[in-house]
Amino acid sequence: MDEERQRPSVPWENGTLAPAHHLCTERADSPTPGLVEGTEPGAGQKNAMFVHAQSFEDLTAEAEEARKEAEVFGSRECAEDVGVLVEEKRVEQLNIPPDCRSKEEDVSSEAWRSHKKHMFVLSEAGKPIYTRYGTEEALSSTMGVMMALVSFVEAENNIIRSIHADGCKVVFLTKSPLVLVGVSRACRSDKELLRELQYVYYQIVSLLTLTQLNHIFQHKQNYDLRRLLAGSEYLTDNLLHRLDHDPGLLLSAVTCLPLASSSRGVISSSLQAAKSKNLVFSILLAGDRLVTLVRKKDQFLHHIDLHLVFNLVGSSSSFREGEGWTPICLPKFNTAGFFHAHISYLEPASELCLILVSTDREDFFNMSDCKQKFLDRLSKRSAYQALKEALKSRSYSVAQIGIPELRHFMYKSKSSGLYTSPEFPLVYQSDEEQGRLMALYQDLHSYVHHPTRPLRSFYRCGETENMMAWVTSGFELYLCFSPLGTKALAISAVNKLLKWIRKEEDRLFILSHLTY
Amino acid sequence: MSIRKAPLTRKQSRNGTSKYVLERCASINEYYDIAFKVMLLGDSSVGKTCILLRFKDGAFVGGNFIATVGIDFRNKVVDVDNLKVKLQIWDTAGQERFRSVTHAYYRDAQALLLLYDITNKPSFDNIRAWLNEVHDYAQKDVVIMLLGNKSDMAAERVVKTEDGEKLAKEYGVPFMETSAKTGINVELAFLAIAKELKHRTTQQPNEPKFQLLDYIESQKHKTGCCSLV
Repeated sequence: MDEERQRPSVPWENGTLAPAHHLCTERADSPTPGLVEGTEPGAGQKNAMFVHAQSFEDLTAEAEEARKEAEVFGSRECAEDVGVLVEEKRVEQLNIPPDCRSKEEDVSSEAWRSHKKHMFVLSEAGKPIYTRYGTEEALSSTMGVMMALVSFVEAENNIIRSIHADGCKVVFLTKSPLVLVGVSRACRSDKELLRELQYVYYQIVSLLTLTQLNHIFQHKQNYDLRRLLAGSEYLTDNLLHRLDHDPGLLLSAVTCLPLASSSRGVISSSLQAAKSKNLVFSILLAGDRLVTLVRKKDQFLHHIDLHLVFNLVGSSSSFREGEGWTPICLPKFNTAGFFHAHISYLEPASELCLILVSTDREDFFNMSDCKQKFLDRLSKRSAYQALKEALKSRSYSVAQIGIPELRHFMYKSKSSGLYTSPEFPLVYQSDEEQGRLMALYQDLHSYVHHPTRPLRSFYRCGETENMMAWVTSGFELYLCFSPLGTKALAISAVNKLLKWIRKEEDRLFILSHLTY
Repeated sequence: MSIRKAPLTRKQSRNGTSKYVLERCASINEYYDIAFKVMLLGDSSVGKTCILLRFKDGAFVGGNFIATVGIDFRNKVVDVDNLKVKLQIWDTAGQERFRSVTHAYYRDAQALLLLYDITNKPSFDNIRAWLNEVHDYAQKDVVIMLLGNKSDMAAERVVKTEDGEKLAKEYGVPFMETSAKTGINVELAFLAIAKELKHRTTQQPNEPKFQLLDYIESQKHKTGCCSLV
């Protein structure tokens, strides 16, 4: 599998998030299918906001490449191993004490086993660290077996990647000193599951730093890491929920609050003016949408790090009042150290959350002053009112675009790492239906990002909707049409949609990025 | 608003220049005369945030446990003998992984409320460790108060009131049992702290010293045989 990954890939495979500078000056007036990266609708004008060269491919291709791998597809040996796993679970049935933890679930029950996706984290000593369902205690022997599988293959100077058996995929990710295991029946490829395991790994690193993790396990191999992670499990729980529901995590991109570019400009410059010596990033969020981001010169924020920040802010109501101050490691920036984030909402009941990331642990009052400066400056401007208005009105509906049979879409500009998507139409209002649509998108995504045979475009007729995906070096586009749509209609819709996005791009995207 | 702007430092007052000027805060309606920093400490889930919310908003936020992330900073202005005292309260996360952050802010604190949960023995046993940390990182003359929280949960009590009293006596700190749920003694804890700090700063040489311990003894509700709980 690695060999295939390392194969020189087709140009659109290695999409970088930062635009090539020479391209930005020659922006096309109307998009054409042969779009070059950096000129597609939504591409930034000056510098990209995010760090260079990290896309879905890079994210999943980075696992230890030096070592040989052992991938066994449903061989008898592994089927037996899975048998052992099941066996273990049965044994546990006898000695699980009834617990009242909300997470508590009988790990030997059919209900536990039928969860769509399981995630486990353990230490290299085989100690359980995290499980998505059930309790770690109850799964300690299961996790022991997982570790035994890893060590068994490792003893032959090999790495276990995955086991496919009985319609089930078991994917392993060894990131010393941690081992992460994902089990799913629904995933199309190992890569999907691997991507999610990576996210969980980064979540844990962001809480502790890799340096601290290594330090702990070097000193005490059988350390119970749950002690340090106590009270933070909900972050991983929420992250996993987001992985199933948030298009941003699927697309490796971030969405922006639609806002007139003049208003956004004023807000950005107010934020830019509220600077401080150790301030590295100022991020203004509206729920899960980015309003603006100002960064220190030459410092880029990776979209994974930004998603971890989103997850931290979105998962806890503890920042709602008062001002929060917390260490956070941004693993894509630096796994060795903590940043310190000042997190506060602009107004108690507002969705607007300001995050000021500083390098200094004792910078709280400086950051608090920065926030006040920003707020004082902003509240005098009419842009603040415009921002509040933008919050009140829901995003935008697909009907505005005027393309018949088009129900929903997701458009990602590769060079800016930003995506846009209309609100869900009536048909997809329920949680269930939204989840189903997301699963369809995930399916499309895995076709166009297939590790060995990536597709450039894809169209599929279904009973309830027709789906289409189109990827160029500049953008990724995923569309959902009503089942009455035709292929020809879909093709013409793409052009119309791209024109519309181009027209609206300065509202839907952040095109100019400020530094302090 | 920040401590650096606090109109009065202890040194000034001791030099006899205790002429406190009315300080204007950024947001209107929030005038105050003196500001003090108070920190809430204790193991995870003993109720630090709940105590603070009860004091600040007069409400109990029960149900789901929401772990504080890092430290949380809030203000509340209280009246002490016709003086507006602004308490700047640091609500800290009890989890181990946040220790290094909280340490950095110990030394600024003028008062510490150290909490344990009367239904959770380990949280009480850890009080000694907390006091050692306080000794290592906090100012020498910091005001400390020990609080046994969740006194409403009589049925699940595992730490006796006497044990709390004994420990407090050993370290020479005031003690009371509180309940964020019923609100018992919560206001008192913060007000006593505010009084003590205010007296320390504004005390005239001939004025008698404020007796924190006596004040608390005279005011607090006992959760014993004769109480409502």
